[in-house]
Amino acid sequence: MNWLKLISALSLAILVIPVFLLLYEGFGPLRDPIGYSYDVFRSVELTLLSSAIAATVSVALFTPLSYYFARNKNSIAETLSDIPASIPHPIIGVAILVIASPLTPFGKFLLSVGINFFDSFLGLIIALTIVSAPIYIKSMQPFFQSMNIAHENYALGLGASKFRTFVSVVLPNSGKGILSASLISMSRAMSEFGSISIVAYYVLQQPFYGVNPAPVLVFQYYTYYGLGAAVTSSAVMILVSIAMMVLLRLVRR
Amino acid sequence: MIEAEVKKKLGSFSLHANVSDEHFICLTGKNGSGKTTLLNLIGGILTPDEGHITLNSKKITNLPIERRQVSIITQDSCIPHLDVDRHLVWGAKNKGLNIEQEYIAEIKTSLGVQFDGKVRKLSLGMRERVALATSLISEPELILVDEALSNIDNHRDFIDAFKNLAAKAKIDVIFTTQYPDDSSQADHHYQLESGKSTRLF
Repeated sequence: MNWLKLISALSLAILVIPVFLLLYEGFGPLRDPIGYSYDVFRSVELTLLSSAIAATVSVALFTPLSYYFARNKNSIAETLSDIPASIPHPIIGVAILVIASPLTPFGKFLLSVGINFFDSFLGLIIALTIVSAPIYIKSMQPFFQSMNIAHENYALGLGASKFRTFVSVVLPNSGKGILSASLISMSRAMSEFGSISIVAYYVLQQPFYGVNPAPVLVFQYYTYYGLGAAVTSSAVMILVSIAMMVLLRLVRR
Repeated sequence: MIEAEVKKKLGSFSLHANVSDEHFICLTGKNGSGKTTLLNLIGGILTPDEGHITLNSKKITNLPIERRQVSIITQDSCIPHLDVDRHLVWGAKNKGLNIEQEYIAEIKTSLGVQFDGKVRKLSLGMRERVALATSLISEPELILVDEALSNIDNHRDFIDAFKNLAAKAKIDVIFTTQYPDDSSQADHHYQLESGKSTRLF
């Protein structure tokens, strides 16, 4: 008897049974047409687009920081970068609202130029970026650490500055790592509920006027229409997430 | 002229080495004798616990790698995504040097860089030729070669060619090798044993 295999199979079952049960119920006994209505697809569209943008922002803003962490030991800064991922996410939502409110000079400035985070596409993306960036950093750091440092030392010895070495030696050889880490961070953004249920319960801007992000929509369906609509819309979301994970597998091969 | 008197403790290993010479210097010693540690100290990858490093009368002990005018080459040294021709002038471009095409052609011929393509797709020996040629063209004051001559075919001929080019460009070289006979091609020979250096000639 291979006990390790048995224990592994059981623990895997704990993770996947709820998901498959939801797929079965959602498209089977508990099927409710509201769960795959036009509104559901609009909100999946909003979630996919906003998460992809958040992941792109993470790549642009946080790739240098991940590289810095990989090459310099700085446990205080690393712990700080983890904070958004480790505190309850509604707190992030509240924090974003406070920053963008007339209570702070920055908020006053934003409002004076007509920028509003509350129930806006911008607020949604900011919240998703803050909660998913720590995941991006955590995925990029080991990738950079596993890169052969001899290439960088050689480039420095050829007179390149640290920044030039990063831009012209490290980045061109990091495409696969960046793509894979950004997909992981995008999946994380797609599953976010806590902060966006406060900042952007729905978006009040075209072309997504009145659309809820998908996790919020599931919650809303549960409270309005009951289990059937919630389970069916969840099943649709699960299919989208599985597609994302298959894509990630293909990229990592 | 490179003058180094350095002490460095790494775990239970401690290095205490003295090098003071110019031109083509060979460094030999068994695995774990401290050859790579010494080169890393001179190249700026490590900083010494005690001591000083002077290159052509300029103190470089605490300078970052990119400001030392020292190029360090190991078996893995290259910029993988570049084509051979762009690779060769990459360092010179960083330093804003104007290198004549004839000089590049001379180095390519002498060092047998008669191939093209992405550097990551080359064999180890070919990659080492490109890395060494690139370093020469970037005109540092000192080139450190850590075991990067060993995988090249006819490496004795290659060492001769490399030595001539370095001498012409007034670049000092320190190289480590696993073949003790290679020291006969050097101007000076240092041996390391358990972290202690001895000057043989």
